[in-house]
Amino acid sequence: MSLKKMTVRRFVASGAAVALAVSGAIVSATAPANAAPSTGGTLYFFTHQEQFDHVDPQRVYVGRDIAFFNSYLYRNLVMYKPTTGSAGSSLVGDLATNTGVPSNQAKTWKFTLRPGVTWEDGSAITCADVKYGISRTFAQDVITDGPTYATTMLNIPAGKYKGPYSKEGQDLFDKAVTCSSDNRTVTFNLSRSVSDFNYAMTYPAFSPVKATKDTGDKYDLRPFASGPYKLESYVINDEMHLVRNTAWKKATDPNRNPYPDDIRVRFGVDEDLRDSIFTDDSIKNAVNLDGLKPVANKAFFENPANAGRRLNVYDPYVRYGAMNVSAGKMDCLEVRQAVFFAINTQALIDLSGGREFYGDPGDNPIKPVLGLDYAPTTGNIHDPAWKITGNPDKAKELLATAKTKCPTTYDKATNAAKGITYDLSNTATNQKASVLIKDALTLAGINVKFNFIPSGQYYSTIGDTTKQSDISAAGWGADWANASTVIPELFTKEGGANYTQNWNDPAYAAFKTKSDKALAETDRKKQAAMWKELAQYVMDQYWIIRPIFSKGQFVWNSGVGGVGYWEPQGNFLFTAMYVK
Amino acid sequence: MLKYIARRVAYTMMILVLISLVVYLIFDVLPMDPARLTCGKTCRPDVVEANRHRLGLDVSVWQQWWRFIVGLFKGRDYAEGAAAFHCPAPSFGYSFNRHECVSTLIARAFPVTFSLALGAFVMWLALGISLGVWAARNKGRFIDRASTTFVLVGTSLPTFISGILILLFIVVKFNLVSPIDLGKWHNPFTDPVGWFRTFIFPCLTLALAYAASYTRFTRSNVIETTAEDFIRTAKAKGLSERVIMRKHTLRAALAPIVTIAGLDFAGLLGGAIITEGIFNLPGLGRLSIRAVLQDYDLPVIVATTLLAASFVVFMNLVVDILYAFIDPRVRVA
Repeated sequence: MSLKKMTVRRFVASGAAVALAVSGAIVSATAPANAAPSTGGTLYFFTHQEQFDHVDPQRVYVGRDIAFFNSYLYRNLVMYKPTTGSAGSSLVGDLATNTGVPSNQAKTWKFTLRPGVTWEDGSAITCADVKYGISRTFAQDVITDGPTYATTMLNIPAGKYKGPYSKEGQDLFDKAVTCSSDNRTVTFNLSRSVSDFNYAMTYPAFSPVKATKDTGDKYDLRPFASGPYKLESYVINDEMHLVRNTAWKKATDPNRNPYPDDIRVRFGVDEDLRDSIFTDDSIKNAVNLDGLKPVANKAFFENPANAGRRLNVYDPYVRYGAMNVSAGKMDCLEVRQAVFFAINTQALIDLSGGREFYGDPGDNPIKPVLGLDYAPTTGNIHDPAWKITGNPDKAKELLATAKTKCPTTYDKATNAAKGITYDLSNTATNQKASVLIKDALTLAGINVKFNFIPSGQYYSTIGDTTKQSDISAAGWGADWANASTVIPELFTKEGGANYTQNWNDPAYAAFKTKSDKALAETDRKKQAAMWKELAQYVMDQYWIIRPIFSKGQFVWNSGVGGVGYWEPQGNFLFTAMYVK
Repeated sequence: MLKYIARRVAYTMMILVLISLVVYLIFDVLPMDPARLTCGKTCRPDVVEANRHRLGLDVSVWQQWWRFIVGLFKGRDYAEGAAAFHCPAPSFGYSFNRHECVSTLIARAFPVTFSLALGAFVMWLALGISLGVWAARNKGRFIDRASTTFVLVGTSLPTFISGILILLFIVVKFNLVSPIDLGKWHNPFTDPVGWFRTFIFPCLTLALAYAASYTRFTRSNVIETTAEDFIRTAKAKGLSERVIMRKHTLRAALAPIVTIAGLDFAGLLGGAIITEGIFNLPGLGRLSIRAVLQDYDLPVIVATTLLAASFVVFMNLVVDILYAFIDPRVRVA
């Protein structure tokens, strides 16, 4: 998913060791050991944001928020095991008794609900509730923003079902999702084999909603709880208050540990004030839902006194420059390579906090932490001619080849009156980065201009094929531990975030055939091999350049215990937190 | 007088209707497309169009504006089928970013902004006028020079600096208000202490900046008025200095200050964006700035613009009326 929403990127921890090897950095994924968890107290979260993007389960698509709400407010059919380390990437049954039973070459999946699971009013959660919840994703005129896997995976012709509000095409949905006579087993009929369909079930988009409690758009303010807490109040720009859901029973939910009596999220906190709360440890039972500002972050992590209340980990994202390879843009391989070799990657990493806090140069659109699907590629940063500080001489060599092979693109890149255009979101850091990029490219004889786009409009602008420039900064992470949520999403025409416009590239047809084949492959090992081959293909074509395997920092105060990193969610292991 | 007020109110309504139309027209020609910006990750053409319909932007700008005008009197219906809901009159529309009718959002934010503006207004008038008069009466002495220093510091220190300084080095350092409670709304009628704790420091931040200007205005106006012939006449008649100041000098000197104060107060009622941001106050300023810069939330933009314009127009009317009471020459004219 794209960085625009900082959506969740799934990745397995078995790859973490690979990531560490790449960086050489010391990264801690778990907090120091604590005493036995205690129950009670109020746990505070502080954020500069004025609200959660969404609270409605079918609309939540931010990794942090999925982890938060899945821990406290609502339950899914399956979930990631709530533990730190690599074990956290395995699936466990949540509302369902197991992690799903596939059949018919993984075109049919069955999940059976645990007995005794209830809503906050004590009524039973049924298959009909699960079915209704999922149906809401199809109402795209009401339920916006959420993941749309249901619309593409279920065996329903595109656009024929309009959701439960208008009920147009309801019969198609009723055939694709069926309930057993005891209303406890839900069966999904898919349009193709999806061997990892149960991973999609970890998204709240597949969680139940009680039809009689559905308030359409307004459900985003007050979803009905199935988890250990329920919403007492939620005022945007002010506070969210969660209190215990007395109808929730531990016997039906072995995965969650609701330690605090209540949870309060304070919104709109001034960034300086927020940072001072954590720098001074002034409110003991507080957790920072954001990062710290760069200067405060560096100071915090350099202070050994803070060792017990901070994490510095690889986040689930890969940041990169996407080459728009459509005709008249960056349609010449040698020019793309020249840009890659010319850029001073070290300077750009240093600008954003250095390798310790920002991340490491990458060789792949798939992050090493994805484990099975990652393998180091050849070429790009492994090319002997590549230098982390830039190699203008190599870039000039490549441009000399381009001059005869693709003179039009060469002219565009080197002509002072033309030049290539680089899309960046308009932030203070990117303004500085543009100077570093321009300096490096100028040394190689490449003329570059910048198109600064307001942050809020960035991805919608570069997603418009008529408005995207030659190169666009972008970012992505896997939705779950399978590159099926990376390669097709980023590099096929049907993908949700293809900023390369590569579908007219001569190299595309063969790529697409292989990608489709990989998607349909049910043997996971064979599929992983195919993703590795496709990642190499992407890098050989320089459809993206200078990927960065990025990091994230998390801080909390001394009165909070049980803090850990939930790797597949890319955020805190919320359910283990308690007030000391 | 009543006829005059009625005429001004009718004129005000016309202005507001025109302002609403202008906001719609400006929004229509802006290059950004809210339907695309808020359509989520899978922004396919059909999703964009569904979103455009949801936002009510799939009709002409004239129809959008007319729906707004009708909604003010009849309320508005949103969505279809089981997801349908109604925003009762007077409806300013519905915010799909905040999932509430705009009138509800305004009703929640206005008391916050009003508390902030009123508190600051009282503080800066009390401080600015008294210090200005004191400095004028002691022209050239220490207190006059001290007030000049205050004016210089106050006017040159922007609220985003003074606010942060007050917040971090007074409020937080001495633990006067817990960050947990910062910006929390307390009803002044049921919890006056909580209300006072929430607003005293934001009000002080705003008041410091305004009080400096008002000290300068008051000082110069008082000195200027003291040199007028009618003051010399009053002195010649043997009136005491205190009576001359209260009955003659201040009345004349404060008249222009009332005009400025009215407009400043009206401007603040539209939202004190920076101060609200620093002290985490969920007022109109934060509501409007986010609607403009981040969400492109047309209903909120229109409502907050109209509200801010109404305050300015209304306060102009109040100032005109007050003027007549303060300065008898106006009534004669």
